[in-house]
Amino acid sequence: MMNGLRNFIDKIKPTFSEGGKLPWLSSTFEAFETFAFTPNTVTRQGSHIRDAVDMKRSMILVVIALLPALLFGMWNIGYQTALNDMSWNIDSSVWYMLWSCFWFGFLRMLPLIVVSYVVGLGIEFMFAQIRHHEVNEGFLVTGLIIPMIVPVTTPLWQLALAVAFAVVIGKEVFGGTGMNFLNPALVARAFLFFSYPTHMSGDKVWIAADLWGSDAITGATPLGEMMAGGVRPSASLLDMFIGTIPGSTCETSAIAILLGAALLLLTGIASWRVMLSVVLGGGVMGLLFNAIGANAYMQLPFYYHFLMGGFLFGAVFMATDPVTSAQTNAGKWIYGFLIGAFAVVLRVLNPAYPEGMMLAILLMNCFAPLIDHCVVSRNIKRRQSRIKIEK
Amino acid sequence: MNIKIKKGLDLNVLGEAELEFAIVPKIEDYAVQPVDFVGMMPKLLVEEGQQVCAGDALFYDKRQPEVLFCTPVDGVVKSVVRGAKRKLLAVVVTANVEQAPASEGFTAPEKVREFLCQKGMWTALRQRPFGIVANPADSPKAIFITACESAPLSADADFVMAGREEAFAMGLKTLCGLTQGKVHLCCKPDSTCVKPFAESLQENFSQLEVHTVSGPHPSGNVGTQIAAIDPINKGEVIWTIGLQDVANMGDLMLTGRYAPQKRFALAGPEVRMPRYYEVTAGASLSSILDQQLKHQDHVRIISGDVFTGTTITKDGFLGAYDTLVTLLPEGDYYDFMGWLLPGLDKTSYSKTFLSGWLVGSDCKIAKLISQFFPTKVDTNLHGGVRPFVFSGNFEKVFPFDIYPLQLIKAAIIGDIELMENLGIYEVEPEDFALCEFIDPSKTEIQSVIREALETIRKEAM
Repeated sequence: MMNGLRNFIDKIKPTFSEGGKLPWLSSTFEAFETFAFTPNTVTRQGSHIRDAVDMKRSMILVVIALLPALLFGMWNIGYQTALNDMSWNIDSSVWYMLWSCFWFGFLRMLPLIVVSYVVGLGIEFMFAQIRHHEVNEGFLVTGLIIPMIVPVTTPLWQLALAVAFAVVIGKEVFGGTGMNFLNPALVARAFLFFSYPTHMSGDKVWIAADLWGSDAITGATPLGEMMAGGVRPSASLLDMFIGTIPGSTCETSAIAILLGAALLLLTGIASWRVMLSVVLGGGVMGLLFNAIGANAYMQLPFYYHFLMGGFLFGAVFMATDPVTSAQTNAGKWIYGFLIGAFAVVLRVLNPAYPEGMMLAILLMNCFAPLIDHCVVSRNIKRRQSRIKIEK
Repeated sequence: MNIKIKKGLDLNVLGEAELEFAIVPKIEDYAVQPVDFVGMMPKLLVEEGQQVCAGDALFYDKRQPEVLFCTPVDGVVKSVVRGAKRKLLAVVVTANVEQAPASEGFTAPEKVREFLCQKGMWTALRQRPFGIVANPADSPKAIFITACESAPLSADADFVMAGREEAFAMGLKTLCGLTQGKVHLCCKPDSTCVKPFAESLQENFSQLEVHTVSGPHPSGNVGTQIAAIDPINKGEVIWTIGLQDVANMGDLMLTGRYAPQKRFALAGPEVRMPRYYEVTAGASLSSILDQQLKHQDHVRIISGDVFTGTTITKDGFLGAYDTLVTLLPEGDYYDFMGWLLPGLDKTSYSKTFLSGWLVGSDCKIAKLISQFFPTKVDTNLHGGVRPFVFSGNFEKVFPFDIYPLQLIKAAIIGDIELMENLGIYEVEPEDFALCEFIDPSKTEIQSVIREALETIRKEAM
């Protein structure tokens, strides 16, 4: 099979090369060819041997790390609908609930994922072709994260617009993956958030009412309840940890996200410094508010912040985006800590938005280069002082 | 000083050379190759068919005409090899006469530099920054010699120096005369020959300092040692010289005759019997390779180590500064879904492949597993070139007080002031070899650094 496929690829390759019939598809062809086979290119200069790891390997591992949260999120779409829809029999057998909820969520989620990938990859392929680059794998991750962090009821045309905006304005205008300074997935979410606020959550989040229609009902998220002056979220800590609560599609389950985090940390793809410092920052700020204790929200035990809203998802999958986070190790500590701290500050003190994670990460994305600059400046100063001492 | 390097990576490559000398087949041709010397602009002094004696100049560098590049053997200039734009690639000499008997030793201490330059020995001295042949008018703040190379399959310092103690001592003495500063020699802690001998010399040579260096590669790189002992600041110059060239220099001082010897290891997975060879510098490797190549095709022949060496052809020559010839399988194959499989046989430092957990592990189980799944070391690029995406990896294999990613980026955009601030003068491309190896975006970092250094050097001229 492998040889057959290889021969087939070699046979059709000239069609897409310079001088063939379809040269304008060469980047696209190249992307699919290298998807099937790691290419036979050998080193030309410099180190004769190279590590087997490449961008495809790294990115696919992030996609795999997203799967637990994605699968749970799909199930939770159905489960939330079932809770609000009397026609569902929640007390029926466990397996029935497991499968019917998942199937419902899967069918709701699939169009979002397809639209996100088709629109985003289409634009990526186009830019790669214009620039005569290879297609960058970065969007494999971005394209999956975007549908995971928007409400499931988001109209597809809005999603398509948001993806196009994120890819073009958030990334390609700067030169593509690796050159952007804002996390493209969050750019997409922010685009929806500010352009179509009614379709995004206010203090409540939309839950799908039925499988095919665009009707939606609202459910109260823990963040929304706190925002409205609650003393504690109505969901129990355990529910919030497992994730059987309303929220953006895949952000609710701490346990599924932690599974992904474990994979990212074990493989070394994501920075443990960023993850840890985001949690530390959130924790310290939460404790500080506990100490002040001026209102009910401030008195909320600090660990609630980790389980409410998109805090964990942001810490594990968004703050750790290697392109837009700080690049120096010391900088990563500062960057992550401030994300956690700002997220909690925005939640507790800002009256306009219930969730602060998205804005905290985007804000720190903007400051990451400055943090790095300060860290590197210390190294530069040390080097310059060395000359003075010796002279 | 005892230096312990923590950051780095030891890569296990099959085919380490056994500690014995192989019988050298007849070698006819010897070459001096201008391309071995960074930034040099050769001016030819001989023509084809001309008779030359060992120590006769073949060409010189237009930048510093007093430094001559000399033939290591007596013979006839066989060919002057030129490449594109008539660039001089090599001058090949066929050895045809018995070596002339040794003449008088050198006895005029005030003219050491001149003598070394004229006899061709000076080219063994390289300066940092820039990696070019040292300028005889300079006075370096220190001279560094490394006797503990750590790259995969490197020649064993004790083995190649055995029996050359007298010449080595003379060479060290000569070097001490070339600088006001220290002469640093870095050995392995368990060195049985070089270290005890050098320590015995310390009483006589007050400038000589002997250090021990341990830890993973690049602990043996001279750049790592300079950074740990006496880092280079802007405007300062440090010289480096190969261990065997110290002995060659001593030989020249003792006998007055330029006949540089090179003991090199022939190693790697594609070698029939990996062992050591003793030849004259610049020797043609064709007769040795004829005997030792396992396969005739799909082989990468490298003069030097797997990270920094130069690709040569089957009739190539030993590089001027190399003491290792590595033979690797070419990686020109397709790997079906290579990016998706668990990857027990992948050569990887990253934990994204299962084998990444075994590399460099001291655990017995890991060693056992890696015996059953030997990793494939070959020249495949393993992916496509991308912009930098990940950060924080280079720091794990880069034992300098320098931010590697930031320096590389500064080099790519060509910002000289930023590069100076970030420490470009302390590094050579070889110091970035491990970064280049582990880089998932497959950037040619060593070329980037070399080009940046050349830009700065030309700017300063």
